[in-house]
Amino acid sequence: MPAGTPPAGTPRPGGTRADATDAVFAALSDGTRRSLYANLGERGEATATDLARDLPVTRQAVQKHLGTLASAGLVATRRAGREVLYRPTPAPMSEALAWMAEVGAQWDDRLAALERQLARRAPHQPIG
Amino acid sequence: MDELVERELTVPNEIEEVWRSLSEPEWLGEDASIELREAGEVRAGERSGFVEEAEAPRRLVFWWSAPGEEATRVELDLDEADAGTHIRVTESRPLAILDGRDLAIELGVRGGGAGPTALAGGMLAGASR
Repeated sequence: MPAGTPPAGTPRPGGTRADATDAVFAALSDGTRRSLYANLGERGEATATDLARDLPVTRQAVQKHLGTLASAGLVATRRAGREVLYRPTPAPMSEALAWMAEVGAQWDDRLAALERQLARRAPHQPIG
Repeated sequence: MDELVERELTVPNEIEEVWRSLSEPEWLGEDASIELREAGEVRAGERSGFVEEAEAPRRLVFWWSAPGEEATRVELDLDEADAGTHIRVTESRPLAILDGRDLAIELGVRGGGAGPTALAGGMLAGASR
C-alpha cells in the first residue's frame, strides 16, 4: 500500500462486484471524468495540477473528479513529498469494461453481418 | 447490476424473415447454428450453449460460453418497425441469475470442463477480491 492517506479507491471489504460496477459507471458517466481518466491513462501518473492544465476546469474541480474516480477504484494515489500523484488502476472493474468493449465490438460485427445477410434476401424491398 | 452490452439495428425485412435468418447464422460465423426452440443447441465457433427461450418471431434467449470462459446470456428481441424490423440484442454476465438458476445447471452450462458450481465460484472469487 502507498504511504500517506489511504486512497479513496481502496475497495470496501463488503462491496460486491455489482456495487463496484455501479460505481464505475457512475464515475465514467461524466464527460470530464472520462477525459481525465483517458488523460491519466496517457500520462501514466500525474498530479491534479498537471491534469488541470489539459482541461478547461479548475484544479479543485479536477481534484474532486479524481476523488470520484478513486472511489470507483479507477485511480490510485501515491504521495511523493508534498505532491499527490494519481495513476489509473487496471483493477477492479476494468476487466468488466474490457469485457463490455470486446463483446460490444463482437455484436457490432455480427449485426453488420446479419444486416448483409438480410439485404441479400430482400434486395428490392420497397421503402415506405 | 449485471454487466451488460446492448446493441440495436433496424432492417427493412419483415419480422418473420429476420427470425428465420437467425437460424441460418452465417452472421455468427461459418459453422454456426442455432436451433430455434427451447433447449435447442447453439454453436458458434468455439462457443456452445443452449436456447433458454424461443418465442417466434419475437424473442430468442440463449446462453453460451467459450471454453474456460464464463457463460453469458444473449437476448434477441424483434419488433415490427415502420419500415421493417427492429432488432435489439443484449448480452450479459448475470451473476445473480446464474447463481440461483436451476435451468442453467440442468441444461448444463459448461465452460471448458468447469461445472456450474466452479463457474459461479470463479465469478464469486472475482467479486470478493
